[in-house]
Amino acid sequence: MFERFTKDARDVVGLALEEARAAGAPAVEAEHLLLALAARGDLPGVDREDVEQALGAGEVRALAAVGIARSDFDLPPAAPRRNAPRWSASAKLALHRAVGLAAARHDRRITAAHVALGVLDAREGTVPRALDAGGIERHALWRRIDGER
Amino acid sequence: MVRTAAELPDPPADPADGLAAVVALRRLADRLEDASVEHAVRQGWSLARIGEALGVTRQAVHKKHGKRLAARGLERGRD
Repeated sequence: MFERFTKDARDVVGLALEEARAAGAPAVEAEHLLLALAARGDLPGVDREDVEQALGAGEVRALAAVGIARSDFDLPPAAPRRNAPRWSASAKLALHRAVGLAAARHDRRITAAHVALGVLDAREGTVPRALDAGGIERHALWRRIDGER
Repeated sequence: MVRTAAELPDPPADPADGLAAVVALRRLADRLEDASVEHAVRQGWSLARIGEALGVTRQAVHKKHGKRLAARGLERGRD
């Protein structure tokens, strides 16, 4: 699947794997792609800290909806996982959307920008909800990335 | 306090909120498991006893946590 990815796009994929591993996550999720994109500076106006903050806000909000206060859990920082994380459905879906988007635009190579748009295009899930909770306007971000391509 | 089904809180009205809560709870449970398993090993618990407490086999605990524990200098034998 990755043969048509540019070096930058492959970097995003590799960095997302590292993000998941460092966070002790059992799988690479769409949010790890988002963190990787932000860390590389592929999201104009949004840095890695903004994304991390948004993901935290999204988690607090999701748990509050069922009456759980995230602040009640004082867990130690996650220990990095040693086993290679698998690729979750959310991350695969984002990459498939990136490929589809490039095809629809007759772009031969899949760039980091395509990956960013694929991640941002999610209708449901942790990424759109976190961006919303963190006050990051998803459609405006999409347009900024699309304009820079 | 025992609550009857009728007294339990309703699931969130928006399906997206209930589903997002499931994702967040799984994540929280994973992190709680990592921290609790590590704590138990530090307290001298065997993987067999940890497995019994979690309702899984010793092998399952080893497969999921073994490498991470070993990397933190917490290797347990087959006791």
